Amino acid sequence: MLHLLKIEWLKIKGYKTFWVLTTLFLVSIIGLNYFVFNIKQGLSQANAQANAVIGHPFDYPNVWHTITYFSSFLLFIPGLMIITSITNEYSFKTHRQNIIDGWSRHQFIHVKIMLVLIISLLSTFFVFLTSILFGTIAGSTFSFVKVEFIGYFFVQSLSYCMLALLLSILIKRSGLSIGLFFLYSFIIENILGAVLNNMGGVRKINGPGDYLPLNTTDNLIPFPFFRNIIQLSTPPSVYILLGLSALYLFLYYFISVKRFQTQDL
Amino acid sequence: MSILTVENLYKNYGSVQALKNVSFSVPSGSVFGILGPNGSGKTTLLGIVMDVLKATKGSFKLLDSTPTADQRKKIGTLLETPNFYHYLSAQRNLEIAAAIKGQDENDILRVLEIVNLTQRKDSKFNTYSLGMKQRLAIASCLLGDPHVMVFDEPTNGLDPVGIAEIRELIKKLYHQGKTIIMASHLLDEVEKVCTHVAILKKGELIASGDVNEILANEDIVETGSDDNEKLLLILKLLNNYSNIKEAGNLLQLFFPVGTANLEEINRHCFNNGVVLNHLHLKKKSLEDKFFELTNN
Repeated sequence: MLHLLKIEWLKIKGYKTFWVLTTLFLVSIIGLNYFVFNIKQGLSQANAQANAVIGHPFDYPNVWHTITYFSSFLLFIPGLMIITSITNEYSFKTHRQNIIDGWSRHQFIHVKIMLVLIISLLSTFFVFLTSILFGTIAGSTFSFVKVEFIGYFFVQSLSYCMLALLLSILIKRSGLSIGLFFLYSFIIENILGAVLNNMGGVRKINGPGDYLPLNTTDNLIPFPFFRNIIQLSTPPSVYILLGLSALYLFLYYFISVKRFQTQDL
Repeated sequence: MSILTVENLYKNYGSVQALKNVSFSVPSGSVFGILGPNGSGKTTLLGIVMDVLKATKGSFKLLDSTPTADQRKKIGTLLETPNFYHYLSAQRNLEIAAAIKGQDENDILRVLEIVNLTQRKDSKFNTYSLGMKQRLAIASCLLGDPHVMVFDEPTNGLDPVGIAEIRELIKKLYHQGKTIIMASHLLDEVEKVCTHVAILKKGELIASGDVNEILANEDIVETGSDDNEKLLLILKLLNNYSNIKEAGNLLQLFFPVGTANLEEINRHCFNNGVVLNHLHLKKKSLEDKFFELTNN
């Protein structure tokens, strides 16, 4: 596998778009969190009561939760990286050439899945470092309590990247894959979730819509503010969410591999 | 030993039958031409052999055994179009190909030299002309000096000099004992280099085997005189020809390969009172034969 990844590295190394996206992702994570941090600081200074309401989201241990929550809005960027990496192969027909030159179809698709794994791990690691950075800036004492949110972020990142992989394998064309990926993750699933949750004319915050593919992993890291005030309703159980995430990930994996191994390339 | 054996291969694209029950075998050390007009299934056939397409039915063997990905590493293949990463240089692209094939990177300069791309090895692939792309694809096939090579329309996009060079290269590889499988619609190409041939028409194999058996050529002698009617009567007195035809203001005599004797024909006509103003020996071209095979 290491040899195969080395070849994948040769493909990525010279691909400018990939590095632009990487830079954009890293800068945006710091930037977005800093933006939220600034607003929060402003509110706390202006109004002492705000602290009671908002709490201390950038202090340990809450910082793990806060940073992973806001960073997760940027997970479409690693998704884009996966889409370009796969649809490039289709448009250059190099997926064919790799097979012709002696990779098995199994090897090709599994290298891409390894890429998903590595990009997710690196994203998670960067978010881990960002959390430490903001935790330190906020001036609280370091704590590993609630560090499980880093783990949830990893699952969420896998989920976005695997969905991106699946769409690329199914659609093959970059524009359409990117369009559908955005449309689904930002719009379709939210509408579908709301429709499902409001079924039967009862307005609910939680409901079956929480268990849609991306919502499942999004809900692992709920909105971090105002938690001191009220729990509007019972959030879905983390264990159920994790179990369901595993199921979705397996489905993405299974369908992608099956599809790539049986289709005409 | 057989390099490739295709057994009862079928391939459907929806309702279109691209291959219908195709079977043949490629002997070791041959230059095997797969001939057929556009859309006859040549690339589909090679695509299945390279595992980029899935056969609807039927099977094939490489080197008399069940095909594997590792076997493909030892076959240099150019299928349909040169497929490279547009944003990488020729050198980098060949590094990827060499790594997949498990070949030494030191071989890259050698193959680039063969196809005259050494000067441009650091240019990005998307700056290449069509002919250069094609030559790079051929260079990639040559990596690791494989014993078997598959070329699908190898001279596509090349200028006349490039075409001659590739033809020479294929002949040289053949003399080194390599097996070459070549798909082409350019008959001239096949005629000049192939030892064996399979002819496809609309997905059906209409003939396969030794090129001299399949494309048993005929000698054609074109004759002309002031009085072709008289000439015809006189030519009919000859006894070793196989057919006689009028073609414009000329008469064509057909002979089995190597049996036409111009001197004898000329003397025969002169002795019978007809002076020829045209006498020309023409090899029946593969093209004629090909049309004959694919048109009925």
